[in-house]
Amino acid sequence: MNEQEIIEGCLQGESSSNRAMVEAYGNLVLSVALNVIGNRQDAEDICQETFLQVFRRLDRYDRARSFKTWLLTIAYRRSLDMLRKKRRFSEFSARVRFEPAVVGRGGNLRPADPEPLPSALLKRLSPRERTALSLWANEGYTARDISEVLACSASTARVYLFNARRKIKALLENDHGLLQNG
Amino acid sequence: MERCPRCQARLLSREEARGLLVAPDQMGDPADLWRRIAPQVGRSAGLPDTPPVAAGARWRWAAAVATGLVVAATGFWLLHETGGPGYGPSLAGPAERFEIAYVNIGGAPAQTFVYQPQGSDTVFVWAQKTP
Repeated sequence: MNEQEIIEGCLQGESSSNRAMVEAYGNLVLSVALNVIGNRQDAEDICQETFLQVFRRLDRYDRARSFKTWLLTIAYRRSLDMLRKKRRFSEFSARVRFEPAVVGRGGNLRPADPEPLPSALLKRLSPRERTALSLWANEGYTARDISEVLACSASTARVYLFNARRKIKALLENDHGLLQNG
Repeated sequence: MERCPRCQARLLSREEARGLLVAPDQMGDPADLWRRIAPQVGRSAGLPDTPPVAAGARWRWAAAVATGLVVAATGFWLLHETGGPGYGPSLAGPAERFEIAYVNIGGAPAQTFVYQPQGSDTVFVWAQKTP
């Protein structure tokens, strides 16, 4: 099933096409979200929300554009939403008094998953820089392609990518231990 | 800049970046993703595109009607029980201590926090999926 057939099938509500789309692009969306967010659980949530939004709004997709880029644009926006939500919670929790003794945990929690990324490095980048770096490195995107996802000009996307490459390179040269620790 | 070897030496190469980032082919089986998404897309997602059998529909109706009856009976009983003496807002004092045993999200124990701003009687409960 090629891309156009998958899209047509999804527009007609065929579950086999929905499945084909997730299997064709799921790992791509998940990897981009993971590179931006740095947390597997959140990345899976973003992936799920992205595809649900795609299935609902596929009729708005402009076929003159790359489907993959449209999909990644949605995934990127969902990732930003997730980061904003987390930031709001952090600000909220900083303002109120924490009462840890009140609540039990109610069961055996899983041990924390190992961080999938060398997050010590990637945390030095803004979400836009991380997205630009991920699309450039993994997908071979140019600055123009990246600008479509980030909704900015190509020159701005080029700056994000340049800054990301420069910062990480400098960090790697200054602290080789980051890679091992990350 | 892109053709200047000295400038390029100050920038992360594509290969170096790939070594730091997660790639799509490291993400595992995409069928797992579909199993997670399918229930959200719809009950028929992931199944053959055939209409559900009539017997299934009848059972769903029966279950819905039974649930409705249980809810109605419980509501009636509660109204009847709380309508008598001993019940009423005048007897309900403010709770001195707020407790939650645990919170589940999606069938798994959630990280749960209770906050009370200084000098306030307001209590905020925040529950989130365990990372």
